[in-house]
Amino acid sequence: MRSLASLEGVLLIDNRCNDGVPDEIVVSQGLPAGSGRGIFEEACYTCSHCEAQVVKNRDRTRPRGFCKGCNHVICDACDARYHASSHQCVPFKAFAEEVRNAAEKGAADPIAEAEVYFHQRLIIGA
Amino acid sequence: MARFSLASQSVTLTAVGDTANMTDSGYAFFLQGGSSTMQLRVSEVQAGGESTSSATALMVFGRDSTVAATSISGCTNANIDGSSVAPGTLAVFGRVSTTKPQRSATLGHLLQHSFNAFGGLVRWQARQGEEITVIGNTASLGELSYSGHTGSSGILSAHCVYELVALAVGIPALAMIVKMVLGASAVGLVA
Repeated sequence: MRSLASLEGVLLIDNRCNDGVPDEIVVSQGLPAGSGRGIFEEACYTCSHCEAQVVKNRDRTRPRGFCKGCNHVICDACDARYHASSHQCVPFKAFAEEVRNAAEKGAADPIAEAEVYFHQRLIIGA
Repeated sequence: MARFSLASQSVTLTAVGDTANMTDSGYAFFLQGGSSTMQLRVSEVQAGGESTSSATALMVFGRDSTVAATSISGCTNANIDGSSVAPGTLAVFGRVSTTKPQRSATLGHLLQHSFNAFGGLVRWQARQGEEITVIGNTASLGELSYSGHTGSSGILSAHCVYELVALAVGIPALAMIVKMVLGASAVGLVA
C-alpha cells in the first residue's frame, strides 16, 4: 500500500570540508536553518500540481497541503490555489499529457490549449 | 525509453537573476525537449564544488521562460545503459547558445541547491514517478536549466539524470495495441 513517505526523494548537501553557507542565505533560499553547515540530508517531495521540490521541515507543525483529487501532497502555493478554486485538482502529469495531445494535433500553442481543456490557467506571467 | 546523464564540467558561475539572459558557459546546463511532443523526466541533479577558496553557490533548477536557440553547444550527454538503443531524436542540451535561456520568475525555482563550492557537494534524487517533467520544446514547460542565482560564485561540475519518456503520443498507444495483439514480448520492439 502506498504511503506518503513512499513518495519522498532525498536532498543531500555536504559542506563538511568547508565553512558552509550562513543561515541567513540558506533560509532566504527556502532551506531550513542549519542546512548550510556540515552534512544535511532530508526527505523532499514533489508537488503533484507544479512539480516544485519541497524539502521537509521537521519543525513544521502546520498540516501540509494535500490534494484529495490526486491523493498527493502539494506545496503551500498550490495548496492555497487548491482551496481558492474549490478543490480543483490538475495534476501536472495530466496537464503534460494534454499539452502533448494538443501538440500532436498541431495546436499553435499546446500549453494554452491544455489550459483551456482544464479550465485553469497554470502558467502565470514570465 | 532510454535514460541519459547530462554532464557539465568545471563551470565558473556567473550569477543571474530571473528573466535575465544567462551567460554562455556561466551556468551548468539547460535541458530542452527535442520536439514539440517529446517528454523528459529528470530524476537526479548533482553538483560538486571545485573552487579553491570559499564561494557560495546558490544553484537553481527550474523552468525557463525563454528557451535557448541557435548555435547550441557545450556539455556531454551519455546513454546510461550502454546496451540500449538511443531514440532517433534526442533532447537538446548545452550551456552556449545565441538566444540565451532566461529562468522563469514563476516556474524557475523547482529545486534550490545552496552550498559552498569550496569542495562541497549537493545532490537531489527523486522517487520513481516523482520526477520533474519537461514537455515539448517551447517556453515555459519545454526547458529546464541549472544556474547560479543572484549572489552565486565559484566553480563546479554538475550532472542530471533524465529519461526520455516519449517522442510522440502515438507511440505508447501503438505499443499498447501491439501488446494486446502479439503479447508482451513484442512491446520492446516499438517502445
